[in-house]
Amino acid sequence: MIGRFLCAAYSRLFLTLTLLLLAACAGQPGAPAGAGQQPFEQRYRSMSFEQIAEAARGQTVTWFMWGGSDAINAYVNGYVASTLKERYGITLRQAPVTDIVETVNKVLAEKQAGKDAGGSVDLIWINGENFRTLKEAGAVFRNWADLLPSNQFVDWESPSIAYDFGFPVEYDESPWGSAQFVMEYDSARLAEPPRSVEALLEWACVNPGKFTYPAPPDFTGSVFVRHVFYAAAGDYTQLLGPFDETRYAPIAERTWQMLNEVEPCLWRGGETYPQTSTALYDLFSRGEVWISMNYSPTHAANQIARGVYPATARTWVFESGTIANTNYVTIPYNAANKAGAMVVANFLLSPEAQYEAAKPEVVGWSTPLSFAKLPAEWVEKFSALLRPEAVLPADELAARQLSELQAPWLTRIEEDWIANVLER
Amino acid sequence: MRSAESPAGPSPPRPPLLRWFVLAAMVICMLLPIIPLVIWSFAFRWSFPDLLPERWSLRAWRYLAAPESQVLPALRDSLLLAGAVTLLATLIGVPAGRALGMYRFRGRALIEMLILAPLIVPAFAVSLGMQIVFIRYGLADTFLGVTLVHLVPATPYMALVMAGVFANFDRQYEDLARTLGARPAQVWWWVTLPAVLPGLVVGALFVFLISWSQYALTLIIGGGRLVTLPMLLFAFARSGDNAVTAALSLVFIAPAVVLLALIARFLGAAPAAGGIRGL
Repeated sequence: MIGRFLCAAYSRLFLTLTLLLLAACAGQPGAPAGAGQQPFEQRYRSMSFEQIAEAARGQTVTWFMWGGSDAINAYVNGYVASTLKERYGITLRQAPVTDIVETVNKVLAEKQAGKDAGGSVDLIWINGENFRTLKEAGAVFRNWADLLPSNQFVDWESPSIAYDFGFPVEYDESPWGSAQFVMEYDSARLAEPPRSVEALLEWACVNPGKFTYPAPPDFTGSVFVRHVFYAAAGDYTQLLGPFDETRYAPIAERTWQMLNEVEPCLWRGGETYPQTSTALYDLFSRGEVWISMNYSPTHAANQIARGVYPATARTWVFESGTIANTNYVTIPYNAANKAGAMVVANFLLSPEAQYEAAKPEVVGWSTPLSFAKLPAEWVEKFSALLRPEAVLPADELAARQLSELQAPWLTRIEEDWIANVLER
Repeated sequence: MRSAESPAGPSPPRPPLLRWFVLAAMVICMLLPIIPLVIWSFAFRWSFPDLLPERWSLRAWRYLAAPESQVLPALRDSLLLAGAVTLLATLIGVPAGRALGMYRFRGRALIEMLILAPLIVPAFAVSLGMQIVFIRYGLADTFLGVTLVHLVPATPYMALVMAGVFANFDRQYEDLARTLGARPAQVWWWVTLPAVLPGLVVGALFVFLISWSQYALTLIIGGGRLVTLPMLLFAFARSGDNAVTAALSLVFIAPAVVLLALIARFLGAAPAAGGIRGL
């Protein structure tokens, strides 16, 4: 009897509580725009940046980004957040994620649920396929990056800025950083690294077990396989358009042949590949393999600073060049704080914020700003930054940049690598 | 020695040597995995064949202590969240467990299936659908929404543990109290609660830990707006920064160890009081 009484009492209490809470939540209306004023989305193109900054005052901008670097987290939550607060009255809140695809899915889910305004994501650190997914789903805020004053220092003529993995940016995202693939080696074990893909594969068979690469679709492993693909292609520029099966097939076949030939010479006889790039860094730091790789020219220096890599670690790029890309910040179509997000994007791209991030003791950031467009004083400051020995000079990197292919090429190469190399 | 092993209570006598051995084994099993974490969190360079790091560093702990790492707010939010989930799961799970454990009624098997369902179908599998529903009701990205979604995997444990406890609970104690004039609330407070408390505490610990270690559901419904410790931890674990990952892991397991120590006596007492034999 008691039990039934308690059950009944609980369930009544519970139902009431739940309904009350639901009502409280559902009852919150979106913040009404100023009386008689058009929504920001309809008038931002005709606003000056000062007006946008005025509209942004008091907003809290939630920035979804990969949260796995203490240096970047400290820079964002420290220097960037405090300067934004002080200068623009904007509160920056970092939402750290493990993989930005989670955030892309979140925005798409909001779109599917019909939440077309007041979305929870204001800014996303993004590039490549994730940006393409969002944009093709109509889920990015369009045509805003050119309104940012910092934009004057960006070379939008350069295809590496105007195209994100071959996909047109059209001012739907604003550059934040740049990255270029580099190979990493330990100069204490290896005096002179092999300076082409072919030489690297030969080196692997002269030094069996001392080389491997992460299994695609790992980001780093995937870009390494693309370098082999480029080497097999000879002239990679013929591949820069949309995916083309007739061009792809013969090059892919040569690529799998090269990779299968080298497989027995790899770490553990090529029976297995590191699942993640992190696993490769572990192997490298323990000296099990002598060569590593990363899509950031400053990764090796950062790893040395964190005690992961030996102090003798160095980097090199292939004579034919290595693949480079730009990473961006974008604003979802339903972001609640678009004005604030634009001000944040502008500050991130400003010479002073880029310079702060570029300091080796802060992040060791590679800037997407164009030295040809920057005022001379800033060029001097950037050039005067101490460069750790493990980082190649900017001009050497810039002289050896290759473009990324469009996303469908990448997906196809990753899938076929698994079928033709891993599972063969 | 001899006086320590003969407590006044009615607990079954056990050979002292075996008892100490089991205790020592338990402590070692719990502590051993923590030792490398402690070393890693202070390690600067620690490569494979070396027994100890080449150099030591406070980098990871300095980072955790700095406001930029967001560890303190995440710790606070994780505690609040797990606390709220435990409270609600108890409010739901205790009556449900009582009904399942003590009464035979029509549709009991169905109710039991429904309560068990979240354990059979992983919550993650239906989380995308839930996300859409939560967005529509304005629950996504709110503390309440994340609390509710944590209840999905957490409540069954509470209900099941309590069903076992109540199955072994003798209702005649309640009847006795009532014949002596106790009101329902008094019966609950003075008779039922003390009898089921050990099981309830164990169930609450389960629920707390389920919420505490939840990553996927927090991420999907909280979507990064509510930043809990597992979210910070996963971001670093995937990036290969072992020192910060180890330090964060220690912060992450600390409350669990403290809780476990606080309720250790309940864990031992649970079988004696009817416990979870019914499971």
